[in-house]
Amino acid sequence: MTDVRVVVPGDIIDTSISAEDGGEETTVLRLGPGLAQAGEEISASAAGVLHNKEETHQWWVVSNRRRYVAAEGEPVVGVVVGRHGEGYRVDIGSAQDALLPLLAFEGATRRNKPNLTIGAVVYARVVVANSVMDPEIECYNSNTGKSEGYGELTGGFMFKCSLGLARHLISAKAPVLNALGTQIPFETAVGVNGRVWINTESPETTVLVVNAIKNSEYLTAKQCRQMVKELLDKQ
Amino acid sequence: MTRPDRREATQIRALHCALGQLSRVDGSAQFSLGDTSVLCGVYGPVDVKIYDEKIDRAHIEVKFRPDIGVPTTKDKWTESAVRQTFEQLILAQLHPRTLVQINIQVRQADGAVDAAAINAATMALVDAAIPLHSMVAAATCAVLESGEIVVDPNQEEADQARSIHTLAFENKTTEGPAYVDSRGDFTMDEYNRCYDLCATSAERVLAFMRSAIESKISKEAKLSTT
Repeated sequence: MTDVRVVVPGDIIDTSISAEDGGEETTVLRLGPGLAQAGEEISASAAGVLHNKEETHQWWVVSNRRRYVAAEGEPVVGVVVGRHGEGYRVDIGSAQDALLPLLAFEGATRRNKPNLTIGAVVYARVVVANSVMDPEIECYNSNTGKSEGYGELTGGFMFKCSLGLARHLISAKAPVLNALGTQIPFETAVGVNGRVWINTESPETTVLVVNAIKNSEYLTAKQCRQMVKELLDKQ
Repeated sequence: MTRPDRREATQIRALHCALGQLSRVDGSAQFSLGDTSVLCGVYGPVDVKIYDEKIDRAHIEVKFRPDIGVPTTKDKWTESAVRQTFEQLILAQLHPRTLVQINIQVRQADGAVDAAAINAATMALVDAAIPLHSMVAAATCAVLESGEIVVDPNQEEADQARSIHTLAFENKTTEGPAYVDSRGDFTMDEYNRCYDLCATSAERVLAFMRSAIESKISKEAKLSTT
């Protein structure tokens, strides 16, 4: 059950609950991104579409941005930029580089662990993310011990996009991926940090797929399919 | 007395803004008041120099470049004033040990440059989705030799004015303005009249900013659901 409206920073949000819910009880509101609380007043801190889930009293603002702020549990694509004794330093686009422990891979032991070079691309899961510490990532799901698709991404090409487009691609609702998938075999890894990795059979095909995805951000589904068709015909 | 461009005394010039035109920054906006045009690019939250690092909040930095020539002391003053304004408005506690950098470039100057700079910075911060307490819009008033007060003076009017007042107001009810800059010889009565005129103009600018942002967001929101 969503109730959408566009808000800008400074707008006061009326989160009062209707009396039928039992007006005397105190209800706990869950404020998501884009909302700030000052005493009793809740206001928007970002411009975007306001969403509200009545059953769980959740409120949040969906806004597009380019700069990633790490949050726990999110899948990200990063580039290894350094190595310490304890782990790798990975650039995931956040203000501070993330730490990837040497053993944070499926089945890794002291004797048997992957050796990543500087410049290697990894698909990882954010483990620790808060405003006071540097983010930490892992290339497997430490809860299950399985890689679940995380790990080093070899070959291919990585490009940057806005966070909104990345979320759209990862939700598998993006028409551009379907339109491309029916014509071209390709592998992709999408990070919610606005980085997308593509691997195809040849550099020309990779460039085509990358361009198609970049172009698709502000197109409708029909326009997407048309755009992909035009790119393929030109090839 | 007719103004050079035949505007009414309380009439601001044509407003124009464009969001997100720069591809390499985190947020950008171009804001114009008539022929005065200012471009602002924002980075943040990004990595900060150890020297500037603050353990409990983001470090805010403003860089202001004039349209012609190298930055002078006057521009440094504008940097400092704009920084103090946005330090109050940006929710910096959400991103400790980071940097938010606001880069302002004047493209064309024809009076009320500081006001246009503040407006451009507000819109660029919104475009970058930097958490803000509220939005802020600025307006300028000039008190002419005759005692008449005109809103949003162009450079010709500003050169002949006895005093110039730039004030910025938030879109939330607050006790006072977010930014005040008054130069020249003036009486308290003249200042009070300028205050009221600027407040009204700032409201108009805020409404314009809101409609620009709303139209951009609702267009994008429609696309993502098709």
